[in-house]
Amino acid sequence: MKMNMPVTNHEVVMKSGAILVTRTDLKGVITFANDAFVEISGYSRAELVGSSHNIVRHPDMPSAVYEEMWNTIKKEKPWHGVVKNRTKAGDFYWVNANAMPLLENGSVIGYISVRHAPSRTDISEAEQFYRKVATNEAALHSTGAAAFFKKIKEISLDKKLAFASTLLAAPNVFLMSEFLNTADYGLLSVTVTLTVLGGLMVFKISHNTSELVNLSINELRKVSQNKFGVPPNLRRDDQFGDLFRTIYGTGIKLGSDVGRLNQDAADALRIISGLENVQSSVLITNVNLDIIFVNQSARTLFSRVEADFKKHLPNFRADTLLGTNIDVFHTNPEYQRQLLGKLSDSTMYELELAGHAFQIIAKPVISADGSRIGYIAEWMDRTQENKIEREIENLVNSIKVGDLRARIHLEGKEGFNKSLSININGLTDVIESVFMDINAIMQKMADGDLTGNIHTDYQGAYAQCKDNINNTITKINQFIEQIREAAEFVNNASQEIASGNNNLSHRVEQQAASLEETAASMEELASTVKCNATDMQQALNVVKSTAQLAEKGGDVVKSAIVAMREINESSNRIAEIIGVIDEIAFQTNLLALNASVEAARAGEQGRGFSVVATEVRKLAQRSASAAAQSSEMIQNSVQKVHAGTAFVNETGTALMEIVGGIIKVGDLVGHIAESSNEQSAGIGQVNQAVAQLDEITQQNAALAEEAAANSMAMSEQSAKMTQLISFFKLSNKSSSLAVRQHDSTSKKAVVVKPKSAAVVQSSPSYNSDWEEF
Amino acid sequence: MSQENKTPVVKETFVKNNSDVAVTIQYLSFVLGKEEYGVDILRVQEIRSWEPVSRVPNVPPYEKGVVNLRGAIVPIIDLRERFSLSKVEYTPLTVVVVLQTGNGNHTRIMGVVVDSVSDVISVDKSEIQGAPDFGTKVSNEFINGLVSVNERMVMLLDVDKLLTLETTEQSEN
Repeated sequence: MKMNMPVTNHEVVMKSGAILVTRTDLKGVITFANDAFVEISGYSRAELVGSSHNIVRHPDMPSAVYEEMWNTIKKEKPWHGVVKNRTKAGDFYWVNANAMPLLENGSVIGYISVRHAPSRTDISEAEQFYRKVATNEAALHSTGAAAFFKKIKEISLDKKLAFASTLLAAPNVFLMSEFLNTADYGLLSVTVTLTVLGGLMVFKISHNTSELVNLSINELRKVSQNKFGVPPNLRRDDQFGDLFRTIYGTGIKLGSDVGRLNQDAADALRIISGLENVQSSVLITNVNLDIIFVNQSARTLFSRVEADFKKHLPNFRADTLLGTNIDVFHTNPEYQRQLLGKLSDSTMYELELAGHAFQIIAKPVISADGSRIGYIAEWMDRTQENKIEREIENLVNSIKVGDLRARIHLEGKEGFNKSLSININGLTDVIESVFMDINAIMQKMADGDLTGNIHTDYQGAYAQCKDNINNTITKINQFIEQIREAAEFVNNASQEIASGNNNLSHRVEQQAASLEETAASMEELASTVKCNATDMQQALNVVKSTAQLAEKGGDVVKSAIVAMREINESSNRIAEIIGVIDEIAFQTNLLALNASVEAARAGEQGRGFSVVATEVRKLAQRSASAAAQSSEMIQNSVQKVHAGTAFVNETGTALMEIVGGIIKVGDLVGHIAESSNEQSAGIGQVNQAVAQLDEITQQNAALAEEAAANSMAMSEQSAKMTQLISFFKLSNKSSSLAVRQHDSTSKKAVVVKPKSAAVVQSSPSYNSDWEEF
Repeated sequence: MSQENKTPVVKETFVKNNSDVAVTIQYLSFVLGKEEYGVDILRVQEIRSWEPVSRVPNVPPYEKGVVNLRGAIVPIIDLRERFSLSKVEYTPLTVVVVLQTGNGNHTRIMGVVVDSVSDVISVDKSEIQGAPDFGTKVSNEFINGLVSVNERMVMLLDVDKLLTLETTEQSEN
């Protein structure tokens, strides 16, 4: 007896609903094991198929059980028992085993074994029983009375019926003998008739029943051999009819199942052949990870990499892959099994092996009842892809860190990878070109050269970028041109402001001096005003005495007027007297002339007389001239007296006016005295104002100084700005302008320097002035 | 005739007084406006002050009237008006020079009103110059000549012509 050792006390519980199926040939060598069996046995299918079925036998099982099983099934009878099996690892599992011969055309071609999950009661009973068998406390075969009863129990049906009928008929025979004794023939005949009828019916029934049972057995055999036909007696209304209909239904059900299985098998075949020819490399394993399917692509793949794989996996052989465990792929199979055990859904993982990269999409195959029945794995050789991925990644990383010279090498690339590489290189070329252009233009801009433009033709966003950069440079050109003009303007303006501030400082200085003078004047003015105030009082007194004197003057004038009138009268009388004298002189003259005439007429005799006449005439003339002079003088004196009178009159009125005026003067002097006091107060305010002016002027001076310094700083800044801006080299016509302006600004900058020095020198002088001030 | 007779007398006087060198004539000078005129002193009868006159009707305006001069009726003419000079008011100093002409038996006397009598001047006859044709308001026919005395120009009037003319004019009228 084969003893499979070692064993453990660990039980693998069979899942309820699971069916373990094996087929063996007539010698008990396994020809087929379903996945459930392979899974629970722990062996690979390759290990199971071709091995004797006792590979799973557990040492606890009595060998008598197997003897009985073999005896039973060799009699072409099905065998049933609760069996303890051993897994490869030494664990045990209990099954409810059914074994039966596999018939074909009436002859046995092998045996089939179907196992279900047993209940715990079955297991415990079986365990107890087997223990008793092992200790010979129990036997498999019944002995003694038990065997006898079993024999009776298993007498064929028609015999049992005949025996039963006989037992039933016995009372009737007793009744008939009673009726015969009592000569109750009526009842006797009825009883006999009924008994005979009953006996006939029992016979008939038993016969028919036996026949029908045999028929049923026959039909069921056919069904078991997958020979489905229409059994007779389907229309019977009795229980046999039901039996046949059930058999028929079972047959139809089985037929349909077989048809569906065939269909599934055909479908599976189509899928398998389809899988066989797909591009992807597909491996399918059972639940124990034994490879049960390898398609063409996978075979090609693995034969291609076999040589490389063998370096790491010496057991790997591509041609015998089918049936081997996938552990051959893994250096650490346990870990892999754990991974797969947790697998619940499609999972992708990467496998690096012997310089080859694989992407494996593994997915558990779940049966309809939710149990895991295997795995399907799709292998993809990602070596080339990974290589190009790495190259692209390197390239992208290079581009990411700004190395735009990197490219993908095209050697050894074909197809999609090559065109992808060419395209990516082209993309990099464009990016490199764009950045080289931008870099060049920015370099020039950094050096202040704004003459450049991007001339390369680009498309899309690059073209936009290019246009925007070109526009930016143009705009900056214009902008800097304007800034340059503005800077020059600011430069000029700031110089003007500087000179203006200088002037302002001078003026503030003058203002300060003027303020000093003003302050001194104001002090003098204040003292003067005080003197005025005191003088005014004196003036008032003087005015009063003046008024008195003026009144006296008026009296004097009145007496003067009287005297004048008297003088006038005297003069008039004198004039009259002189007129008389004049008239006398006139007459005398006339007389003398007449005397002269007479003397002339007298000739020689009148000669002496003529002389006298002449003398007289001369005297008369002298009198006349004296009178005339006197008259003239008197006239003069009269006129003068008149004028004097007028003057005195005017003097009188004037004196009166003077008196009135003096009184007014007195009032005015009073007012002036008040005004002087007010002036004193006003001058005090003016002094304050001058002090404030002084303060403000000082602030002004400080501000002017500050402004001068600021304007100088501004001037320097603007000159610096002009210099800075001259850094830019502009495009087109403005570039020549730039050169010219640069020269002019540089000259200006030179000119500005001494000016600023002058201003700086002048500002301390302000300070010293201010300290004096 | 009387003229001629008197002239030698004068000459003689001069001859006697001033040897034989020159013949002097005495003129009475008077003033009309600003001009000084002279008349032969021998033609002067009297010099009087102005007295109011009796008006004579229907005479030229320069004839002021007549006065009774010690029994003789003497016509008075205003020389200013006669010489077409501007009229002046008469004053107590206005003088009337009574002139006479000794034309044969017919002696004629007339008073002329002048502004004033200035002097008696002696003129050497050789110093008398001819009257010019123009330059004065007195017609040439009355003027015998011009003489310069003490740088004053004195126009010498011909009394006869003056009075004759007057007569003829009167007769014509």
